[in-house]
Amino acid sequence: MKKRRVAIVFLSCFIIAGLLFTGCTIPGTSGSTGGTQTTAKKIIVFQSKVEITDQMEALAEEYKAETGVEVEVWGTTGDDYFQQLKTKLANNQGPTVFSLAPGSESEQMKNYLEDLSGLSFVGKIAEGMANVIDGKVVGIPYTVEGFGLVYNKSMISPDEVKDYTSFVKMMQDQKAKDVNGLSLSQESYFLIGHILNTPFALQADPFQYVADLAAGKVKMADTPEFQEFAKFYAAIRDYAKNPLEINYDKEIGDLATGKSAAIHQGNWCAGMFNDYQLDFELGMMPLPLAGNDCLAVSVPAAWYVNSQASDAEKQAGKEFLTWLYTSNTGKRYLMEEFGFIPVVAGMENKNLDVLSQEVAKYTAEGKTIPWPMSQWPAGIVDVYLVPVAEQFFTTEMTPEDFLAELDRVWVEASK
Amino acid sequence: MFKKQDKGWYILFTAPLIFIFTTVVIIPFFIGIGYSFFSWDGLPLNPKVFVGMENYVKLFSDGRFLSSAIHTTLFTFLAILLINLLGLIFALVVTTKLKVRNAARAMLFMPYLIGGLILGYIWKFIFGDAFSSIGEQIGLTSVFFNWLLDSRFALYALVIVATWQMAGYIMIIYITGIQGIPEDVIEAAHVDGANLWVTLFRVKFPLMMPSFTISLFMTLSNCFKVFDVNFSLTGGGPNNATEMFAMNIYNEIFQLNNYGYGQAKAIVFFIVVAAVTLYQVSITKKREVVMV
Repeated sequence: MKKRRVAIVFLSCFIIAGLLFTGCTIPGTSGSTGGTQTTAKKIIVFQSKVEITDQMEALAEEYKAETGVEVEVWGTTGDDYFQQLKTKLANNQGPTVFSLAPGSESEQMKNYLEDLSGLSFVGKIAEGMANVIDGKVVGIPYTVEGFGLVYNKSMISPDEVKDYTSFVKMMQDQKAKDVNGLSLSQESYFLIGHILNTPFALQADPFQYVADLAAGKVKMADTPEFQEFAKFYAAIRDYAKNPLEINYDKEIGDLATGKSAAIHQGNWCAGMFNDYQLDFELGMMPLPLAGNDCLAVSVPAAWYVNSQASDAEKQAGKEFLTWLYTSNTGKRYLMEEFGFIPVVAGMENKNLDVLSQEVAKYTAEGKTIPWPMSQWPAGIVDVYLVPVAEQFFTTEMTPEDFLAELDRVWVEASK
Repeated sequence: MFKKQDKGWYILFTAPLIFIFTTVVIIPFFIGIGYSFFSWDGLPLNPKVFVGMENYVKLFSDGRFLSSAIHTTLFTFLAILLINLLGLIFALVVTTKLKVRNAARAMLFMPYLIGGLILGYIWKFIFGDAFSSIGEQIGLTSVFFNWLLDSRFALYALVIVATWQMAGYIMIIYITGIQGIPEDVIEAAHVDGANLWVTLFRVKFPLMMPSFTISLFMTLSNCFKVFDVNFSLTGGGPNNATEMFAMNIYNEIFQLNNYGYGQAKAIVFFIVVAAVTLYQVSITKKREVVMV
């Protein structure tokens, strides 16, 4: 008996100690340095674009050399960036400057976003590109990215693929030559996320349509653009290799080696072709869904300043962003090192890769459609849409059932 | 009863562990129970709405959660069977007078040292690319096709990988059990004329009962909680056919941002795992023979 009582006493002591301990550490915020200093000597940057991690490190060194402020760059593997960021912010160990995808991500985090309307270059950001929440500019765009069909110019011509009929003909012709007409790949956005954006973007008011769909006021099954989308998807199932057996690397490799004529990708994949000696020219063209002749172009990520950081840190973060977008060194990095398409007036990129040039060209001609997918319910692509796509590609599901199933999961995900 | 001196040592060794266990397991566990009554997305600045038992009620009409329960049960059943059978056979083989028994032990244990995530990616390649090209080469496409694209075979693939990983570890537990059997008992059985089969079932197995208890407990709780192999091998697909309990909870919390609801699922998950494993331990404990 006595033994048990001793054990209970010990246990409760530790529980109380533990409670006190955790209770004490929670409110401690990261490095608030007091009011005497207006700018912190060190800031932390955490961003999602894996491709520019090394360049960010180099940029941090130059920034320190020019201004004396140290920039610590945190790395990420990409996939779980948003979860890592949320965990860090929830524990008050958040970075000073971080990136998000503007849309439902930034909407969810809006309590953590500092008002950046006062930055000197905000007025020069191209129309509609800055992330504005509740009338305040909170996000500074990285660049624009566009997606559509990345194709082999020696195999297909955009003039011959204008609508559903010509698309199917192209797929059949390529299949006869043992070539994949259009290849998708198994990763969630490359499988269904990006391609499903197109029928949304073709609605009269895409963002309103997303809201109506969540409320159950409209159905994809009753919308002509989606009916056509399902037919395109069925054509891919009938005439191309199963996308579930193809990953991103293989998708790129197949296009580079002439096994695929086109892939559904964006200009971000241009760097992937550096590993190959291409004996043809790459081009980018719209997915000809319902006669669509526009690329889907928008801002993939934007910079934000953590509103929960100390005033000195916030100031340092804002100064860092201002420097990045106005100083010569900063601009050089954005254009030459990161390879971004300019979104702020006064910048020009002469060394764009071939796919980014196409995106810039379509943008200049105004032939772009938006990314309503940024307003889709959080997590819907991975958790709800991918399983439906998997079902479609592994069974004999009809296009009608496919749309009905998409409608069903959409309502479920929007709850 | 402790002597005073012993008590000091006792505290010295157990206190740090109790402290760590309390802070990282027990306290978060109770906080977690609290969260399960809220509707919340995990960010301190965003509103927590008290919803009472609603999360728990919702859970029992969540078709996806219930079907993940069925997958998990099926997976656990198959995996326990296969892991323990193979582990036991391996253990019996490597405790004979086999020349290569030490090398064999090392090799059989090796898969356990590879992390589940990496294992999943390796086998993903085997079941996907390797299987389809074998099928194309030798024509046996009814067996060699991409297993991960078939909802039934994807589950079998998971069972195979889990077995490959765990069997070696379970083998070690059975080896200790076998080595713990006194030589004289076996000898006595021989003298009494028991053949190999009878010795195995009537003498060795009853005396190894503690190993069975531990092995079954380990495999049961590990298979129920499987996540890493699930995540990297199938990702829950195709069409959610291999989405296990843990993965369903992970998706709910980290992909869909429903912290409160996900917590409620996790609590139910805990109760199920605890109940099943405790029941199993109580059954097998009864069958243990006490050696005097």
